[in-house]
Amino acid sequence: MRSPSTNHVLEVEGVVKVFEEGAQRVEVLRGVSLDVEPGQVVALEGPSGSGKTTLLSIMGCILTPTAGTVTVAGEVADAARPRRLRDIRRRSIGFVFQQFNLFPALTALENVEYALNVKGVRGQAARTQALAVLERVGLADRMSFLPRDLSGGQKQRVAIARALAGSPRVLLADEPTANLDTAVGDQILDLFRDLARQESKGIVIVTHDPKVRRIADRVVGIRDGRLAA
Amino acid sequence: MVSLARKNLLYDRMRSAITIAGVAFAVTLVLVQVGLFMGLLDKATTTIEHSSADIWVTSRETPNVDFAHTFPETTVLRVRGVTGVERADNLIIAFMNIQLPSGAEEGCLVYALEDFAAWNLPWSVEGGEVRDLKRGMYILMDRSAERRFGPFSAGDYREILGRRFKIIGTTTGAASFTTAPIVFMDYGRAQELNQLLLNRTSYILVKAAPGADVQEVAARIRRVAPYNDVYTRDEWAGRSRRYWVVSTGLGMNMGVTVFLGILVGIVVVAQTLYTSAVEHVKEFGTVKAIGGSDWDIYRILAEQAVIAAVVGFALGAALSYALRPVMARLYLNVLVSPQFALAVFVGTVLMCMGAAVFSFRRVAGIDPALVFRT
Repeated sequence: MRSPSTNHVLEVEGVVKVFEEGAQRVEVLRGVSLDVEPGQVVALEGPSGSGKTTLLSIMGCILTPTAGTVTVAGEVADAARPRRLRDIRRRSIGFVFQQFNLFPALTALENVEYALNVKGVRGQAARTQALAVLERVGLADRMSFLPRDLSGGQKQRVAIARALAGSPRVLLADEPTANLDTAVGDQILDLFRDLARQESKGIVIVTHDPKVRRIADRVVGIRDGRLAA
Repeated sequence: MVSLARKNLLYDRMRSAITIAGVAFAVTLVLVQVGLFMGLLDKATTTIEHSSADIWVTSRETPNVDFAHTFPETTVLRVRGVTGVERADNLIIAFMNIQLPSGAEEGCLVYALEDFAAWNLPWSVEGGEVRDLKRGMYILMDRSAERRFGPFSAGDYREILGRRFKIIGTTTGAASFTTAPIVFMDYGRAQELNQLLLNRTSYILVKAAPGADVQEVAARIRRVAPYNDVYTRDEWAGRSRRYWVVSTGLGMNMGVTVFLGILVGIVVVAQTLYTSAVEHVKEFGTVKAIGGSDWDIYRILAEQAVIAAVVGFALGAALSYALRPVMARLYLNVLVSPQFALAVFVGTVLMCMGAAVFSFRRVAGIDPALVFRT
């Protein structure tokens, strides 16, 4: 299903998320709506337990909402069809994690190449594309390094390169500067800004880091499961 | 395509080594144990397989070639008259006592024929001529007897049932399942030694005429020798083997060993693969987050299992092969046919895949949202 009347790369409409465990019922998101345009960086701020990571997971088609809709690059994420959610993740979404989540046994190049393999790009094409995105994040000279031999900033660049593999239209980042020192964190944020501006990616950054505001086009707060602009 | 499975195995070297060692141990255990068993069984039928007899006539219910009973030797005359029989001769196989230079007495298994050469028995002779056995109190003794009888050579004398025989040569490869060394002597001499063998024989060896249907000839012999059993060579070898496998419990023993080998392999592989799956669970969550499916993860685990199986089998097979000369020094023959090796290889792959199923269950339906947990 495609949404015909939108210019947004990401639309969240009236999303509610309730977790139930036995008799306990926790409403984490209470009717959240949010749009992200191409080339826009949205900073999502909020205290721990406010629901920002849950919202990020729903926007990334990893979790399904209890109510409401999510549309990614014009495709409505249908909770009843897990395979479709996976396809949307493959095609349109790249993730950047706080802990980098690189595959420790793979080199920088292979980490990116493997992501391309999962997305259906194989052989020399995958290798060429992987090298291109590593160059894009300024890490081509470290392509043969294992993650353990890279600095925190370099790991995060590899993670961003992996997220860029397959040219998704949306990047979702979870606390991408949390494990980096100030200078390196600034470089990573500049890279996000450049990706948004130069490649028209829609980027959502969940953060506690006030420096993210420097590159954000919009800052959205979230408290008790509700957005506060 | 990047193989995360292979890379993970190379990265976690210690765990991979343990997994592969477990598989190699299981493979070695199965190959050596079953190989030894097959080697033993080979002894149970080696004279049947080497002789040129197409059909064996035995006394009723003779369980195997070593445990022969006697019947009238004139039966051979009726057998010779059967259509399709080219040649039929009496063969005596009997346990007899042999006196050693040390003064000890040991048992040996005497094979007695009138014309050994006609039946390709014995098939490997050194230092003497088979045809000379008829010319006096002469014997050929198998080299394997040295282990129990001590060293001997052509020209030496030994007493069998109180009669002195000259060893005119040695044979190799003639062995019995009972480990009693085989001695070849003339048919008439054997009857002279043991009065119970007078006018009696243990077997009739039959060669079918060229072009004759062996089964049909056997059926005709059954009609003229109704108080005997008649087997084709393969049937007789099979019966001899079955006796040792079933009646002695050796088959069960072997089954238990193979089962334990497989169990050890499954436990080691399952345990290490499972631990690996648990430790890599966040990686698998990442695979799903970037668009991978459960099958992509199963494929990683299955590939790890297959790699462990292939490398473990290669190591286990190499180790088993290296153990052969050691076993040979102990007079143990490790016999592994290509078909059996192939079966063990397939079994190893299946064993490792089966072990991987435990890991499948651990990662099945893994929640990719765990990638956001710190």
